[in-house]
Parts: sequence; structure tokens; C-alpha cells
Amino acid sequence: MKISFTLNGRRVEVDVEPNEVLLDVLRLKLGVKSVRRGCERAECGACTVLLDGKPVYSCTILAPMVDGRTVETVDYLASNGELKPLVEAFVKVGAIQCGFCTPGFLLTAYSLLRRNPQPTVEEVKKAIEGNICRCTGYQKIIEAILLASKLYAEKRSERKEG
Amino acid sequence: MALVEDPYALLEKWLKAREFIVVGKGIERADAFDKAIGKARFVEDYFDKGVLFVKQVLSEEPHAILEGIDYSEALKIPKVVGVFTAQDIPGENQVGYALPDQPLLAEGKVRFHAEPIALVAAEDIDAAFEAVERVKVKYKPLPVILDPLEAMNRTDVLVHEENGSNIAFRTKVRKGNVEEGFAKSDVIVENEYRTHHQDHLYLETEGALAIPDFEGRITVITAAQYPHLAQSIVARVLGIPMSKVKIVIPYLGGGFGGKDDEGPLVAAKAALVAYKTGKPAFLMYTREESLRIHPKREATIIHYKSGATKDGKLMAIEVKIIHDTGAYTNRGPFILWRASVHASGPYYVPHAKVDGYCVYTNKFPQGSFRGFGNPSVQFAAEAQMDELAKKLGMDPVDFRLKNLLRPGQTTITNQLLDHSVGIAEAVEKLAKKMGWWEKRKAFTEYNKRSKRYKRGIGIGVAWHGISTSRGVPDWSNAYIKIDKDGSVTVYTGIMEMGQGSPNSSHRQIVAEVLGAPLDVIKIVFGTTDAPDTGATHASRGTSIGAIGVLVAAAKIRERLNKLAAELLNARPDDIVIANGKVYVRGNESKSMTWQELIKQAYARGVDVSATGYFFLPKGKFDDAKGQGYAYPAYSYVAVAVEVEVDTYTGRVRVLKAYPALAAGRIINPVQVEGQMEGAIAQGLGYVLMEQFVFDEKGRVLNADMTDYVVPTALDVPVVEKPVYVEDLFKYGPFGAKGVGEMALIPVPAAISNAVSHALGIRVTRLPLTPENVYFMIKKK
Repeated sequence: MKISFTLNGRRVEVDVEPNEVLLDVLRLKLGVKSVRRGCERAECGACTVLLDGKPVYSCTILAPMVDGRTVETVDYLASNGELKPLVEAFVKVGAIQCGFCTPGFLLTAYSLLRRNPQPTVEEVKKAIEGNICRCTGYQKIIEAILLASKLYAEKRSERKEG
Repeated sequence: MALVEDPYALLEKWLKAREFIVVGKGIERADAFDKAIGKARFVEDYFDKGVLFVKQVLSEEPHAILEGIDYSEALKIPKVVGVFTAQDIPGENQVGYALPDQPLLAEGKVRFHAEPIALVAAEDIDAAFEAVERVKVKYKPLPVILDPLEAMNRTDVLVHEENGSNIAFRTKVRKGNVEEGFAKSDVIVENEYRTHHQDHLYLETEGALAIPDFEGRITVITAAQYPHLAQSIVARVLGIPMSKVKIVIPYLGGGFGGKDDEGPLVAAKAALVAYKTGKPAFLMYTREESLRIHPKREATIIHYKSGATKDGKLMAIEVKIIHDTGAYTNRGPFILWRASVHASGPYYVPHAKVDGYCVYTNKFPQGSFRGFGNPSVQFAAEAQMDELAKKLGMDPVDFRLKNLLRPGQTTITNQLLDHSVGIAEAVEKLAKKMGWWEKRKAFTEYNKRSKRYKRGIGIGVAWHGISTSRGVPDWSNAYIKIDKDGSVTVYTGIMEMGQGSPNSSHRQIVAEVLGAPLDVIKIVFGTTDAPDTGATHASRGTSIGAIGVLVAAAKIRERLNKLAAELLNARPDDIVIANGKVYVRGNESKSMTWQELIKQAYARGVDVSATGYFFLPKGKFDDAKGQGYAYPAYSYVAVAVEVEVDTYTGRVRVLKAYPALAAGRIINPVQVEGQMEGAIAQGLGYVLMEQFVFDEKGRVLNADMTDYVVPTALDVPVVEKPVYVEDLFKYGPFGAKGVGEMALIPVPAAISNAVSHALGIRVTRLPLTPENVYFMIKKK
């Protein structure tokens, strides 16, 4: 069956099986490689994408469910500058080791900071609970998200002043 | 004047450096940005249309004679290209690392549930899945043996008939006379400890893409930890020379030792299909397959007796270590070796007797995992230390400080530790910094008042030999070339799985030694195009891997200093090269840029390429006597934790962790912190939540991430900044020792000692799941 949706700012049309998951459509049919395959049962968060702005596990979203909707991935939001403060913060504090989970964390964190620009440590922990990282022990990821919250605030105030 | 090219002289020269440009600083990793924006490539990212998709047929029986494999129905599926079994292997169907006991694909019999039997290759993913369903395997079931104690004592059921016993391998360590040691002891403690399997649960599962080329060579892009080992295994299985196999290890989504075991095997499976079909072939384990197939952290039974005098001196230990190695030894004998020679913990013990047994059962194999046999034995050793201290009426830290190894003392293998032993200083500093003694008292008082919640504080101290055990050869190597524009490329076999050695410490070491700016230094890692550098395991990525990098860079630096001296009319020793600027010490007006210097090197016939080979000097271990040389140096670590136990539910929460590390020079403190924090979280998962559940046939019942539970951000404690004691190792790059595994090793000891303190019950068995802790309390 044919579905069409907005992927990273562009309209795409793609032929899918009714039982095909979004993760496979993105990786195998549309060449989006920043979405990672980790557990394939909505446990690890490596495959996180934004669906209409909200983080979801693309490994358990059936492709027909995204028909007519908007999907965003990390490479796109990084290229248009939306993720810049988060990327900077993750790089700076050393929150990235193997990097396999990082795109998922960035999207979850991005969504949190849009909803709640100044989260507490506990709110950050709660927000990223659905993303597994096996390398860092989370401490530097939490630190990075808190730093990014400051960097976004600076960006906003610059914009206001400018 | 002759140039210095001798690696010993070069290592010594740079070991003496006291001021640094980039070493010791938290320089950002070269790969962080690409990883953040999803641009970094992992194995699956190379899979594309036109590549054969490979699936494995796995055994449904844990122990059975293979009476036949009928895949005729599978071949009828239009897009199925072929099915391959042991019969199709052109070379050797033998992939055992320590002993020749493991086939790539089962032959004659199967020895664990989910053992790979055949490979199905198809032009389409769905066809491959369907074909697997249609392969009919005929089994003649054999009795199943799952308990290692039972396996040790039975010869009527053998996992490997050719071995004549289920004991695959034994180890022995002897020092002094334990009878005499126990006779001189005023207190004796004796306990049996049990630890369980752990899965690495790297977020990226095992995968490989094999591509045959027109010259009869094969390139394999694979998730392994040692390109040259994968190369030799692929060559052996295909029966072709190693020169016809090229291995490329891209970024890995975690390794932790697991991909050192399984990596070469997944590469060989993909390569077999590519070799037989002449087409690119891709194999990637599902999470379930990964959990069922690849080797796990050792499950152990450890019987431990130790004695001390009334003034708190350890006198003797007698230890029996049993490792459940599963269906194949894999690296089991090496793991058992490491456990055996580390059995004392980092303490001086005059009398020691250690016996190790590596035992076959019908379970998945035991394999390499961060700590490599050491977390389990340090758990037992450190529980003993706490119990001895209790009997002696001493504080656990005070008792340890009386016994911790110091320079000039010998280990239980009678190896003299002449330098780089900073653990006593590290433990003392840590205890003072965290207020150990005050906290211990405060928690004891708190527990008298609090009914439901009990608090405890515990410490684990551990050591870990750097490099391979005993006299097993180990070396470092790297090749560096500088292009005409001044850009520097380093070729190393060390790979990148998150630990960061190529992308942080290697770059820093090159920038420090050459004086080139960081941004012109590129590390090409994880490839057989680089010299064999050994594996990225055993915390050796920087500690051993970067020795070659330092030596190669130092050779070039000697030449550049001579050249710059001629050009700037100064003495070579007075030349400074830092951050891309070349000048005469004390006279910065006489200067030139890095780029100009390299241009001059090309114009004046100075070779700006070098290989840095270094063969680690080692001694001998006498297996018959159970004594001798074990490791060139040891890294040391301590972790203390505060816990709270809910006695109503049995739930343990780790509130805070305090690490200390004596691992020589800290090249990059941010990366080292990352290793410490990550290791503590992985150790916490092992102790509090991770476990495999088997049924009566040895089948894993929880082979998915819903039921094999690992820590989330809500489960981990705050980890304080580590206390460092930089006890330099004379052959390490700038004196560095290993870091990656360290902080996990004492975590089982630290948490269980803290829980024992909280509850007043000795923990002897892991994991400390709420259920286990609840019943432990009930039993009391």
C-alpha cells in the first residue's frame, strides 16, 4: 500500500506492507540511517523519531499509522540548527561514548526542553527513562541536557535582544 | 649525532615529561559530533539493496545428536539463494579461542539451546525468515547437564566426549604453605559465593557485511574488537590466506568484550555465504538471537577460606573457583586464569592456594565481559575481608589499609611489584574525602532508629593485571604518516566501541609528542590495513595500544627536532613544537609553523613516517608450581557506595558511589570519568537487576529487553568525581595503565558489602533483586 507523510520537511510517498514498521521503512526504503535498531520491541529508545513533534519508538509504529503525519529525525533537526545547543552540550560534557543511542536521546531531550525549558534533574531522568544507554551511566547525559537548557535560554534571549 | 629510535629510550624520555600541552586535559573526542547528528556509521548502515540477507537456523535442543538437516523445502522459496551447513565450510570448522572445541556451525551434535546449525541466504528479508522455518533438523536428544557441580562429578553425560570429563581446564596458584598460614591465624572465615551470568547488552547487536571482490579477496565490515583476529578466523574457516581477507571495523554500538568473542564468528558466517555465493552477504543478530547465542559473563561458585592474625594481618587464603563455561570454553581458560591469579584481591598474603575449574554444561558459552573473571572473585575476596574485619572488631577500611599491596611486595603468584602500586594511597584518600568512618557510624546509628528502611555503606577494592595473563606474548604497534600539508594520519588496529581510545587519547598523545595541532590529526582505526595492534580488550586500548602510537610519534619527533634545529640554528634539545608552532626555547622569535617544518622535511629528505612497534617484556609462569610472572603491571580501583534497603519489599537503591583509581597517568579525565560512571552503572545492573532465567532444558526464558532488565536513568546513583593516584607504569604511554574495565570490578563487592552492612546479613549470592533480598531478610 502507498502512504505519504512529511519526512524531515519534505513530502515522501512510499510503498509499504501493512505490517511493516516505521523503523524499517526509514532505514531500508528511505535511507535514513540515523535511526538505530536496538531491541525491536519498544524498550531501548535507539530508534526514537519525532512523530508530529512527539518522541516515539519507530520500531513499533506501523508504517500505515504515519500516513499524512510528520516524522522528524536527528540528522534533519541537526542540519537546520534546532538541535545545536543539545549537540554542543553532549559533545562538550562527554555524554557520547559509542554514540549508538545518542540520536534517540537528543530527540527525547529536545522534546522535553520544548515542553519544559527548565527541567529539574528528576524531570530529566523521568523524561529519558525510556532511552537506554549502556556506556555512560547517564550522569553526563543528564548534565548535558541541563546545560543545553541553559544554552537554549541564552539563544532565546539573544533572539529577543537582537 | 645518531637519532634515538630505541622504543625503551623514547618511552622513558616521554615518561619524564612534567608539563603538557594536551595530555591530562578533557579534550573533546573527535567522533562526538558525527555521533550526535547520526552521521557516524555502524555495521547495519552499510547494508543496502542487492545484498544477500542471512539468517541463522538455531538448535531447538540443548544437547542432542544431529541426525540430519533437510533444507530442500527452504530452497523451493524463489528468493532463497542457498542454505549452508558445516558440510559447506571449505576450511576448518573450528573457532575455539583457548581450546579447539568450538565449531562455527554445529557438526555431529549440538551442545546448547540456540546453537547455530545452518545459515540461510536470500535476496529478501522475508524470504530468509520463511526459509529458516522450513529447514528441518532431526535431533536425537541426549541427557542435559546444567549444574556445573553435577557436571564436574559425572562422566556418564559428557558435553564433549573427546575430553573424557566435563572439566575442560584447571588452574593452580601456590604460595607459601596454607596449613601453616591458617595455624598462625587468630580468625578464620569460610564461605561459598555464587555469581550469575550477565549479558553485555550493547545497544547494537552483532552484525557483519562480507563483500567478495574480483581478485578473490573478501572484505568484511564487522562488529568485532580485534580486526586481525577476525581476519585469522575468517581465513581459517574459508581455508584461504589471511592476506586475502580484509577486516574493517566501523563504529560499534558498544562492545564490552562481547564482540571480541562473537565478532570474528559473525564475520566468518557472513564471509562463508559471500564466499560460496560470490555475492555481498549481510548477517545481523536480532536482540533475541544476541541474548541466546553470544557468550556471557561467567557464572561462578567460589569457595573461599581466609585467615588473619589478631592485629589484622592477612595470613592465608584457600580458594576454589568453579566457572560454568557452558557448551564451549571460548575464552574460559583465560578468564579462569585471570580469576585465579587475582583471587587474593590487591592484598599482601603470605600463604595462598587457589584451584580453578572451568566446567562444561549445556548452556551458552562463558565469554569476555568487562572485568574478565575478576568481578566475581573480587566479590568473594572482598566479602571475606569485611567478615574478617568484623571478627577482628576492626573497621573494614582500616583492615584493608593494613593489608593493601605496596611497592616491593609480592603477589600470590610471587611476582615482585617493583613500581606503580598506588592503591593504598588511593583508598586512604578516598576514605578521607568521602568521610568513610563518620558515615559508617552514622548509618549504623540510623539503622537502630529506622524500622523499614536500612542504610549501608560498603567498599570494594580491586586490581586488574594489564595485558595478557602470564607470559603470553603481547605487543603494541602503529604506523604514522604525515602528508605534505602537515596533516597526520595514524593507523592502528585498536578500534572504537565507545571507549574513545583512538578518538581521544591517541590523538592527544600524537599532538603532545609531535606538537602538531589536534585538528590535523586523523586516526584510522579498527582495520587490518593497520599493523596488528592486538585486541581492544583488557583495558589495553590506550595502556598498550597507544604505546606504539607514542613510539612512532616520538621517532618522527626526534627527526623533526634535528631538522628544526638546523633550520633555526639551535640545538635539537632546545626545539619546542607545540600546537603547530615550532620555536627555540627561550627565543620564540626564532620560529616557524608546523606546516613549514613538514614542507622542509619533504624538501630535505627527512622521513616523516614511522612504525612504532613495542614488544612487552614479560617473565615466565610455571604452571606446575603455580607461581611466577602474571602481568607487566596492575591497575587498581576502589568503589564505595551508600545504599538504602526497603526491608518491606527487598528493594535496594544505590544512593551514591565514590570511585578511586590508581591507573597511572590520566590522559583524558573526561573520558576516564565516562568509563568510571558507565562501569558503575553496568556493575549496578549486574548486581541489582540483570539475570538470565533458564528452564529445565537450559532454554533462556527472558531473551528480550522486556524481561532482561538493565538500568535506566532512574536507577543509577550520583557518581562523585574519582580520586586519582597517578602511579606511573614505566612502559605505559606517559605512564598510563588500563581504565575501561576497572570501575565495574569492585561494584558487586561494594554493593553487597553495603547491603550486608545495612541488614547485618552476609550476602554470598547475586543478584540482589528485590525478591532475593526479601527472602534473605525473611530467612534471618
